[in-house]
Amino acid sequence: MDIKTIMFVATIVSLYINIGVCIYGVLSKPNLVKKFIALTILQDSINTFMILDGYRLWRAGLIQPPVLLNWSPTEEDLKQFMMRAVDPLPQALVLTAIVIGLAANVFLASVILHLYRHFGTVDVDIIGVLKRVAISEELS
Amino acid sequence: MFSLTEDIIFVAMGIAAILSVIFVVLAIITKDLVKATIFSAVQSTLYAFLLYLLMSPDIVLVYVAVSVGLLPLITLVLVKKVGRYEKV
Repeated sequence: MDIKTIMFVATIVSLYINIGVCIYGVLSKPNLVKKFIALTILQDSINTFMILDGYRLWRAGLIQPPVLLNWSPTEEDLKQFMMRAVDPLPQALVLTAIVIGLAANVFLASVILHLYRHFGTVDVDIIGVLKRVAISEELS
Repeated sequence: MFSLTEDIIFVAMGIAAILSVIFVVLAIITKDLVKATIFSAVQSTLYAFLLYLLMSPDIVLVYVAVSVGLLPLITLVLVKKVGRYEKV
C-alpha cells in the first residue's frame, strides 16, 4: 500500500465516521438547535461523499485542466478528455441538493423558532411533556 | 515529478478529512451552541477544501456561500433567540 491509497481510504473512513457521529447527534441530543446543527453537518457529509464517488484519479498531465480546449475536437482529443475528466452527474446532483437543502434548513429554523415561541423551550423532552399536559387538559 | 504532486494532493485530502472528524466530534459534544456553530463552520471550510481537491470547483463556489456563510448566520440568529447554553 502506498501513501495515496492510505490517504484515500482515510478520507472515505473519515466521511463514514462523520456520518455516524451526526446520526448519533440527531438521534440522541434533546436540544432542537443541536439537532439542526447535526443535520446540516450530515447533509454536507453525504454531499461530499457523493462527490468523492464521482472522483477519478487524474494521472498524466496535472498541469492541464480537465476541460476540452479544442473547439473542433479530434478523436484523440476526445479520448484524452474521457481519460482526464471526472463524472459530472454527481456534481450536478449535489449542486441542486445544496441549494434545496438551504431552503429546507431555513424552513426548519423557522419551525424551531415557532416551537420556542409556543412552548418557551427547545428541549424535545419538555415539549413532549407539555403537549401531553395540554392534551389531557383539553380532554378533561 | 507528477507522482510527487499526486502524493501531495492525496495527503492534503486525507489531512482535511481527518481534521474534519475532530471538528465534527467537537461540534456534537460541546454544550455551548455558539461554539458548536463555529466548529461546524470550520468543518464546512475543510469540506470546501476537500471538494476543491476532488476537482469540483463549481460545487465549491456554491458551498462556500451557503455552508460557510448563510447557514452559520441563520444558526447564530436562532441561537440568539432561543438561548445559548444547552441544558445538561
